[in-house]
Amino acid sequence: MYKPVSPSMDYTADHKSAFKQPERNAIISGDRTSPISVILVSSGSRGNKLLFRYPFQRVSENTSSSANKQRSPYALNTAGDAADDQDGDSREQTPLTDEQLVAGFSDIILATILATKSDMCGKKFELKIDNVRFVGHPTLLQSPHTIQVSKTDPSPKREMPTMILFSVVFALRANADPSVISCMHNLSRRIAIALQHEERRCQYLTREAKLMLAVQDEVTTMTETDGTPQSPFRQILPKCKLARDLKEAYDSLCTTGVVRLHINNWLEVSFCLPHKIHRVGGNHIPPEALESSLKAIRPYHALLLLDNEKTLLAQLPLDCSPALVRLIKTCSAVKNLQQLAQDADLALLQIFQIAAHLVYWGKAIIVYPLCENNVYMLSPHANIRLYSPLAEQFAQQFPGHDLPSMLAKFSLPISLSEFRNPLDAPMHEAQLIQMVVWMLQRRLLIQLHTYACLLVPPTEDEEHGLKEEEPLLAARLGGRSLSTPNALSFGSPTSSDDMTLTSPSMDNSSSELLPGSDSPLNKRMTETLLASLTEQERQGILSVPAAQSPEDLRMFARLLHYFRGHHHLEEIMYNENMRRSQLKTLFDKFRSVLVVTNHEDPVISIFQSPPE
Amino acid sequence: MGTKSRIECIFFSEFHPTLGPKITYQVPEEYISRELFDTVQVYIITKPELQNKLITVTAMGKKLIGCPVCIEHKKYSRNALLFNLGLVCDAQTKTCALEPIVKKLSGYLTTLELESGFISNEESKQKLLPIMSTLLEDLNADGSCTLPIDESNTIHLKLIELRKDPVIVQEYDVPVFTQNKDYFIKTQWDLTTQQILPYIDGYRHIQKISAEADVELNLVRIAVQNLLYYDVVTLVSIFQYSNVYCTTPDVQTLIDDKSLQEECLDYVCKAGQRASLRDVFLLYCGLTPGTTVRDLCSRYSLQLQRVDERKLIQFGLTKGLIRRLQKYPVKVIRDERSRPPRLYTGCHSYDEICCKTGMSYRELDERLENDPNIIICWK
Repeated sequence: MYKPVSPSMDYTADHKSAFKQPERNAIISGDRTSPISVILVSSGSRGNKLLFRYPFQRVSENTSSSANKQRSPYALNTAGDAADDQDGDSREQTPLTDEQLVAGFSDIILATILATKSDMCGKKFELKIDNVRFVGHPTLLQSPHTIQVSKTDPSPKREMPTMILFSVVFALRANADPSVISCMHNLSRRIAIALQHEERRCQYLTREAKLMLAVQDEVTTMTETDGTPQSPFRQILPKCKLARDLKEAYDSLCTTGVVRLHINNWLEVSFCLPHKIHRVGGNHIPPEALESSLKAIRPYHALLLLDNEKTLLAQLPLDCSPALVRLIKTCSAVKNLQQLAQDADLALLQIFQIAAHLVYWGKAIIVYPLCENNVYMLSPHANIRLYSPLAEQFAQQFPGHDLPSMLAKFSLPISLSEFRNPLDAPMHEAQLIQMVVWMLQRRLLIQLHTYACLLVPPTEDEEHGLKEEEPLLAARLGGRSLSTPNALSFGSPTSSDDMTLTSPSMDNSSSELLPGSDSPLNKRMTETLLASLTEQERQGILSVPAAQSPEDLRMFARLLHYFRGHHHLEEIMYNENMRRSQLKTLFDKFRSVLVVTNHEDPVISIFQSPPE
Repeated sequence: MGTKSRIECIFFSEFHPTLGPKITYQVPEEYISRELFDTVQVYIITKPELQNKLITVTAMGKKLIGCPVCIEHKKYSRNALLFNLGLVCDAQTKTCALEPIVKKLSGYLTTLELESGFISNEESKQKLLPIMSTLLEDLNADGSCTLPIDESNTIHLKLIELRKDPVIVQEYDVPVFTQNKDYFIKTQWDLTTQQILPYIDGYRHIQKISAEADVELNLVRIAVQNLLYYDVVTLVSIFQYSNVYCTTPDVQTLIDDKSLQEECLDYVCKAGQRASLRDVFLLYCGLTPGTTVRDLCSRYSLQLQRVDERKLIQFGLTKGLIRRLQKYPVKVIRDERSRPPRLYTGCHSYDEICCKTGMSYRELDERLENDPNIIICWK
């Protein structure tokens, strides 16, 4: 961890060590998104018990030979914890590995602190001890005052040791991200729900616990007679399915971040850790950014699968929803979500939900549908290294082409139409689309859109500082708010025009249907639309030569609320059912009052270049 | 992290020889309910294995941070004195900054007890209550507290906000002050920082500062990294008229945010002149891939009569309105026998290569533009 130097110190003496630190710690500190350990504890008539923990502790040689104190062979020397010197600062010379952090806690102490009282059940449990954070969801199995006799046991009633509550606890590094902590809590809760259900149905948990404790007792007895310490948990694994499930959960969380368990071979628990799945370059997409992005997708966006169709379908469980399968089979990078809804015969809202689900699980990303007018550029995080595996994969997929040359072509923004050579065979175009899709999947490209902003040149008064205070442009051009997600706006069937996308019907719809461009009604409408501007802005607009044409002026006034730099050309095209050429001409005519710029769409750019 | 961690309550808990774990003092009174204490007492007065560890437990909407202490001696009933001075906050508060304080307090109390039996003596123990009240007030108000306990001991505490680790500073990075340099009090900083201070002007890069200030390169890097940690400076890239920039989506904040507009116009306009927002926005939007700063100057010479282009770029970079497009050479074709490329791998930008090899940008450009084995990527 970075150790800052406060202003009053002079550190020139050990500047060398200050620099080496970050690299060393990076190697030793391990992944901050992985758990250190998974622990299962229970509390019942037999007291608090630690049923299982993984990874196993390494039992050191010293404990077996210490004859002075009767210590549990499973308690390691707390040498690892003596890394604190008198001041409480951790000594830098012996940083603890992840294993040592949790291994320093004996089974008994873990059972005491993790098996909580029943009034902490049903809620998130979080405990931090020095550098370790424990998170879980203690779950009550039954009311503490009743003793339930197993219904399947026909033998006469006898006092059976019963479990009152249990908890699946994950140990993490203390500096883990809060969103990682809540994800782990979520997983703990899901496993707890499944276990609670199976316990009520067939006492699954009690049976597994009994097995685990029996093995622990056995190994303790063996150790006392033999004198060779062993970890009981290693013996538990082959005998208990639940132990194997917990181990699998831990291993998956540390590697892929995707957990799929079948509790008692019956109930499925599935979970994914977004921090592991959504990694672009060295950065991960924070879950909050992902969620806000998903809320803002529009019907004109498209869903791009990150795997090919077959692989993805093979990963789905047998009882998955048929809508999901249909969507995967019909989706394509050139189709927008609205068209997808029609082709897959599903409601648009459902498409949004399934798309969000696929994106969350890292199986797809949101892009703008591919077409020849799209302008792409290299993403600032694109991996353009010579020796990256990407270059090899590209060469395999597209023989005869090499990735670096292709990437160089996108160094400056280029539209797909510029690649087109009339002498090329049509196959080349299809291949180009495939290459662009390949590059988008590997986060190499960003798409640029055009945004326009209304800024009228200042009059002479202004330049001499006589300008009055005026509210911001955005506030004045409020009008219709288009920032809310449009999952609920359904459009009319697609037009045959491949470049124009259909628009949802809006309240203040255009006056195009009204005949006679000069009618007083239209004039009134234009005036109303321009009323929200300041006098100076109105004058500025009216002084543009194109404003002499009432049609042009009316169109400009109607689109006024888009000109605050937050709506790109394609969005205006979609909402207002206009052609690209119409809009471009309008921009050109009014260029003296508009400022136009190109950049990526912040809503979907996180998929290609996440924030630092 | 804007919100300071607010302490709701300070409590002193100990193991009473007959009554067991209890809260002896708490400020404000009756803050911790009976139920809350019952639920968490196992984490407050703990088993031996957990002693001297910083324990934070969340329960019933509250976070309790404590460090249990155990002092063993025959003179105590039950041969040990167990106590814990802890803090209580709301469950949503970030409490990392409070941990060193709790640890330090437990250290102080341990010392006091060992030296003069401060806690085991019923009379002196009562002094804890006013001490705790003062602590609560001062820490919440200023984030620091200096409190004499008796003739020989004084408590010094300070809440230090934890910040994110800063990036590694490279020799081709340029440090820029985030606020007016005049507000910077030189004497508070170490000697190295004081020596390089005059050379941080927002245009000199680290290598140049090191050469001109006569300070070793790595020392300059560390000093600037330290300034970066405290948000005193931020890093931008070297300015050259051949640089290419492009806008980011954040450029629109210049239109939306009035205070940013003011700040921008104040910063980028030439002395005695005042440009309009439109001029400045036009200039930023005029920065596109393929356009050098030189091109911008010739295209927008009218607007640039009132705007300093170097300051314009500097402001745009520090606020994230624009970003720099760097050139990365990649050597694609080579003989089997020649050495693998060291710098032309797509990982090193022109800036970096020029810094490391001492070539000027133009020399490097001439060398690479005409080399058929090398392709250039911009990103």
